[in-house]
Amino acid sequence: MGPHVSSPARYRLEDRVLFIMVPMFFAFPIVLAIADHYHLRPISDVLAVVYAALASLPFIAAVVIFGLYMAEEKDEFQKSVFTQSLLWGIGATFAVTSFWGCMEQFGHARHMPVFWVQVVFSIAFVIATAANRWRYR
Amino acid sequence: MKNRLRVLRAEREWSQADLAQRLEVSRQSVNAIETGKFDPSLPLAFKLARLFEISIEEIFSDDELRG
Repeated sequence: MGPHVSSPARYRLEDRVLFIMVPMFFAFPIVLAIADHYHLRPISDVLAVVYAALASLPFIAAVVIFGLYMAEEKDEFQKSVFTQSLLWGIGATFAVTSFWGCMEQFGHARHMPVFWVQVVFSIAFVIATAANRWRYR
Repeated sequence: MKNRLRVLRAEREWSQADLAQRLEVSRQSVNAIETGKFDPSLPLAFKLARLFEISIEEIFSDDELRG
């Protein structure tokens, strides 16, 4: 491995994440669009379960991809930085959703659909990764 | 934990990138170890010791023992 920032495992992680990003961010809207296009609303119980399962598949893939990276990364420092970014992402997601949930409970905020959780996590994770790269530049 | 990595590297006129390549880690890893932001694992410490042909204690020192 050369002296560059990214290890081979990191390159594989980035490739895999790019591969699932499209389904990750568009799975739910696509499922809704299909339901609308074929006049499937109101969706039956069975179809709802199938659609919901399909929409959740990219997130299962994301967890698998993160796990593969943790297993494949030989650079212990990069692994540590990645773990820190994940923790910041998870922490920020809990903080934002808890805050919003309380505000919603008290009637001071509109209902936030659950699928926004992935957006909050993704934003927090990207910011944490950028901050860590700057910190250890 | 303090270390003499920067000095040892400078004695050999190696850049952080050179050392990173020899250790098969990223340059950021070397920088983080040098600046004390990251303590390496025992295997990586042994790898450093082998590379510089000195003991681990000659590279790293425990802050608490020094007082």
